[in-house]
Formats: sequence, C-alpha cells, structure tokens
Amino acid sequence: MSKQISNNIRKLRFEAGEMSQQTLAEKVGVTRQTIFAIEKDKYSPSLEVAFKISNVFNVPLENVFNYK
Amino acid sequence: MDFSYKEKSLIASLGATLLVFGWYFYQVFSNQMFNIGHEFTFNDIFRPIILIVVLEIIIQSFLAGKDKNKEDERDALIELTSYRNGYWVLSIGVWFLLIQLLYVGSGGWYDILENSSPAFISHLLLLFFVLAEVTNFITQLYHYRKGL
Repeated sequence: MSKQISNNIRKLRFEAGEMSQQTLAEKVGVTRQTIFAIEKDKYSPSLEVAFKISNVFNVPLENVFNYK
Repeated sequence: MDFSYKEKSLIASLGATLLVFGWYFYQVFSNQMFNIGHEFTFNDIFRPIILIVVLEIIIQSFLAGKDKNKEDERDALIELTSYRNGYWVLSIGVWFLLIQLLYVGSGGWYDILENSSPAFISHLLLLFFVLAEVTNFITQLYHYRKGL
C-alpha cells in the first residue's frame, strides 16, 4: 500500500479561533483554492508553503502534515 | 457547484475555442470532403484566430472585473502539467503531418494527403494546434477539480 500525505489544517484552523481559509491563504501567500485543495488532500504543497503554514499556527511541521 | 476564477476562465476559453474552431473546421472539412461551396485558402485561417483573440479579450476582461485572484505554485504546476499534455498532442499531429508529407504523390494507401492543397495541409496543422490547446484546457480543468 502506498503512503500518503495527510494534514491537520482543518483542526488547526479550528483551534486558532476558526480561522478562515482566506485568512490562512493570505498569511501563507497562496490562493484560498490552494488551501482548500491542501485540506482535502488534493494537493501536496511545496516545502516552503508547508513551513509557512506551520509557522502561521506556530507548531512543528510534523504536527501539520503526516506521511503514512 | 462553486467555480474559482481560474475554472470560469478555462471553461469560457474552452467553450469559445470549441465554438469558433468547431464551426470553422466543420466548414473546412465538409468543403474538402464534399467539394461544395467556398474554396478555403490559407488566408481564411486568420479569421477564426482573430475572432478567438477578440473573444478571449472580452471574456478575460469580463471575468477579471469580478473576482480575479493572484496565481500561486499550484496554478503554475497545473499549467505546466497541462502544457506537457498539450505538447504531446501537438507533437503527434506534427509528426503525423511530416510523415504524410513525405508520401504525398506516392499513390499508396498511406498517401492520405493525396490531392490535398497546401491550404488544406495548413488547416490540418492548425487543427492539431487547436487540439493541443483543447487538451491543455481540459487537463487544467481536470486538475483543478480532481487535484494534482
């Protein structure tokens, strides 16, 4: 079985006071559609965007993305 | 169904391309097959191209006024993947025409372009350009919906 990247962005947004996808997108510097695609596991972001997302939530990268 | 600015733009461009070039190639190829009506020349190629450029300007200016977003790495990656697919379609078409041109006048069963005018061969080349563009639009739409 092949491994897949999943993420906890929805949960982290909720814990950050129900941060909207648009707000997160603006902070990361991508479009809202890209945040939506990442959340739904339809797009694996670049390392740069992945680090920017973890920086927004102030958590380590492995708390945002999982590879299993 | 919720469509992003990019998807709306792609659907509009795909629709305009299919409509303008679909109508145009229908005229060209029905004329070639049944030898009726207007004889298409090389100059006729410019009419649909000018029409599609004008339509694209109108469509893009209309959509841009609504909700234009900036592009990011995902847009760039989808565009690259789609252009690669379009490139394959164009390559196949160009190689097909090149090989056919080698056999023009040989009289064999493989001489598909026998008795074809240079204008008709130019139209075939344009057809492969359009097919490549349509492949590009469809691939982009697919990746925006289904993911990358």
